[in-house]
Amino acid sequence: MTRSPSWSLRLATLFAGAVIVVAACGPAASTSPSQSASAAPPTTGPTVVAEAEQYPADGGVTCASGGNPGSYDGEDYSGKVQLIEAPDPYTVIFHLCSTDTAFLEKMAFSVFAIYDADWLEANVPNGNALTTMNGTGPYKLDQWQPGAEIDYSAFDGYWGDKAVAPNAVLRWGAESAQRLNELRSGNIEGMTLVGANDFEAVASDSSLQLASPPAGTNLNTFYLGMNHDKAPWDNAKVREAVSYAINKQRLVDNFYPPGSEVAKYFTPCALDFACEGDPFPDFNLQKAKDLLTEAGYPNGFETKLQYRPAVRGYLPQPPQIAEDLQAQLADVGIKVTLDEQDNAQYIVNSNTGALDGLFMLGWGADYPEITNFMDYHFGAGCTAAFGACYPDVASQLTTGGSTTDQATRTAAYAAANSALVQDVPMVPLAHGAFANAYVAGVSVAQASPLSNELLFRMSVPSGGDTLRFMQNSEPGSVFCADETDGEALRACEQVLEGLYGFEINGSAAVPVLATSCDPNADGTVWTCHLRQGVKFQDGADFTAHDVIVSMALQWDAAHPLHKGKSSQFEYWAGLWGDYLHASQQPAAPE
Amino acid sequence: MIQFIVRRLVISVPVVLGVVFIVFLLARIVPGDPCVAALGEHANPKSCAAFNSRIGLDLPIFPFIVKHGSSYNLSSDPSSITNNQFVRFLGDLAHGDLGTSVKHGRPVTTLIFERLPTTVELTFYALLFAIAAGIGLGIIAASRHNSKRDLFTMMIANLGVSIPVFVLGLMLAFAFGVLLKDTPFSLPPSGRLSAGLRFQTIAEAWGAASLSGPPRAVLDFLSNMYTVNGLITGQWGLLGDALRHLVLPAIALGTIPMAIIARMTRSSLLEVLGREYIRTAEAKGLRPRVVLFRHALRNALLPVVTVIGLSIASLLSGAVLTETIFGLTGIGLTVFESISARDYVVIQGLALLVALIYVIVNLITDISYGLLDPRVRLTQLS
Repeated sequence: MTRSPSWSLRLATLFAGAVIVVAACGPAASTSPSQSASAAPPTTGPTVVAEAEQYPADGGVTCASGGNPGSYDGEDYSGKVQLIEAPDPYTVIFHLCSTDTAFLEKMAFSVFAIYDADWLEANVPNGNALTTMNGTGPYKLDQWQPGAEIDYSAFDGYWGDKAVAPNAVLRWGAESAQRLNELRSGNIEGMTLVGANDFEAVASDSSLQLASPPAGTNLNTFYLGMNHDKAPWDNAKVREAVSYAINKQRLVDNFYPPGSEVAKYFTPCALDFACEGDPFPDFNLQKAKDLLTEAGYPNGFETKLQYRPAVRGYLPQPPQIAEDLQAQLADVGIKVTLDEQDNAQYIVNSNTGALDGLFMLGWGADYPEITNFMDYHFGAGCTAAFGACYPDVASQLTTGGSTTDQATRTAAYAAANSALVQDVPMVPLAHGAFANAYVAGVSVAQASPLSNELLFRMSVPSGGDTLRFMQNSEPGSVFCADETDGEALRACEQVLEGLYGFEINGSAAVPVLATSCDPNADGTVWTCHLRQGVKFQDGADFTAHDVIVSMALQWDAAHPLHKGKSSQFEYWAGLWGDYLHASQQPAAPE
Repeated sequence: MIQFIVRRLVISVPVVLGVVFIVFLLARIVPGDPCVAALGEHANPKSCAAFNSRIGLDLPIFPFIVKHGSSYNLSSDPSSITNNQFVRFLGDLAHGDLGTSVKHGRPVTTLIFERLPTTVELTFYALLFAIAAGIGLGIIAASRHNSKRDLFTMMIANLGVSIPVFVLGLMLAFAFGVLLKDTPFSLPPSGRLSAGLRFQTIAEAWGAASLSGPPRAVLDFLSNMYTVNGLITGQWGLLGDALRHLVLPAIALGTIPMAIIARMTRSSLLEVLGREYIRTAEAKGLRPRVVLFRHALRNALLPVVTVIGLSIASLLSGAVLTETIFGLTGIGLTVFESISARDYVVIQGLALLVALIYVIVNLITDISYGLLDPRVRLTQLS
């Protein structure tokens, strides 16, 4: 029997060949219009005049005010930063468009670490910055073995206390069981995120130690949301009934690791002003039923409970928690159908207000300040997840965020929290705990509430010279100005430093490359005094010019160094509002 | 034979294109937004619009077919005939460009060169284990048919084929990594090398660090197969460490194919051992070992070779789980991560790669028939 292709097969082959030829003759489709546009030379850049410089050089940013939009270089501008100025090599002044009470916490975020300006010019355009680093930190990057590990060694010229362990290795493994096996087998000294079911096993193992963040610093919130633009959530009594119907303690006891807390306020109480005003009410089944009756639903109603299966610190067991909520709501007559949605699509649906049932969501801190929790959800530009913004909450948040006066802020956030209890756009349920694990004998074992464990502080037991630490996943890149992934940020934090940083195992911002950053009376001008005598790992001096370039490359979408893995520099817009030349955002990829 | 190979290669073209088309389509049908996956949970409509524009996701998927959110609409724009995602993808493909990963920000070809060696190395050792143990167990079982040894080996085979890769992998990692810690049987539970182990690439060891272009890429590819690197450059510490790390994942991945090969070898060998020419050989007074290995085994191996060829397919799919459990950043783990991140470009590139591997493996399997059995060769040529 011969094997010859059938006619249909021959035709398919001919077609395939034709497709390849046609495709090969066509132009390579790789350059989008936006890429071409941003390839134009930058219109602005730092101008070094003797020792003074500023960005933008023309200082021409107009801030938004009185309902009028701000502008720069012919484009609208809605950002918070107006000008960055360096009157001398060791002073940087940030001029803001409005008061920013979280300025120091934002500056401490490792996305805003300071790079050597010359190194950036040599390594960003060719993409080397994605895989190499040159910082001022205690460790320098020796080698990144893709898929395997990142190797560090101590930086002899570090300005502060030298690394305790001369070498450090950062590895990764997606499963907590796998990381724990590595720890138990003695192949690593520390690991992130112990599995919720392994807390007790680690704590009771004398060869290991469980490291938890300080009590009360679970900087995340899990909540049950309702969109008041959709029925029946447009009825305030229904939303209030839900707030009484959930037994939060039961959720925490059954599904959260030890150290987790019931949420009485939306913002974790470890943050200033978070727990002023009225707390959300305690579980009260009868009150919930009464409110439903008053709302016209004496027999309850049917709805959906929408969630995604993604595990987060604030939501360790999504399906199980959804089922428990389903059971709890059934007790007051609210019959919910579980609606599990795709992870990514769920966020889209949330951001566009398309979730019409009860929905499970949460928030983890980007920076430890109440504005990070409250403004995104309930501020003037609130997310559409809960429907139209609640003006009584938003106005208080505007007040609280635009003054440095403590009394005014306290009053504003107390009013905002109380208004949330009245409006019930959501019901805060829990603040999830997490823990890291280390072998016994590691000193200064860390579990940072902000996931920025600093390896240089830790020692290796039994005289070893290499501290090996295992996290969740491999960094996407180590150009962390353009990263949003915490695993990448941790890799960077060992090498790079910002003007401020966070205290070990805490969330307070402490000076690092700045000796201090001081606000003016209304918090719109911050003057940072830089530490002198600091050197980068390639031997270059650290000066104000490095600060300006490091900030400007993120701020200005037309900056020639506005180029990273995605070139989005997402956190700049997220934390400082807007880019200069936003029409050219994102910049062209390679 | 050459005519046969050429014919098979030509037939493979529509197969590979079909796979590419289906994967392209499936990647876009699954729910989820690549923008949110790439930019994180704070992605907003403005940044997503810019993101989609930059990577071409705002174009029609096929001529006249546009995706809006999670729905698909017809478009009347004639420019979509040439300016759509599929044509753009094929155009880039024809230029040898598999695109740039959204998640990693690097070309897919770079990722493949970086990560394929891990999978190749793992698959090779898993296959080696499966063939050696499988054929060995099959021979033992067949040569002692219906004995306790036969029963025992088939119990092992049945157990091996019944245990899912992820269960076996976790058990092995726990047993050899944790329970047997500090004993001579201790083995690393994950990773490819011990943390902090430094080694030279082949280019460095050969003093060719300044080499660039394709020759350097080939050397780096080989360097990333650590056992090959260790052997070529004489870095025995690297070789030993890499082998220690490969033992558990290779066993976990190779156990199911091993069990299948063992059962197939046994049944095939039993069939051959019952044939008349074997009886003749025995009647001639040949030693049982000579009859078994020289006369029976070669003829019994033909169906086993088919199974081995098919096993490579299961090894590639099993690598997704094995690499995840043992923290090996190979193609399998990359596929898993890319699907989670809706990284269409990488999914397409890797699907194409895997399809090509399948085609090549099947071709090699067919060719090996001819080498093992001349009758097959003659039939093909006729």
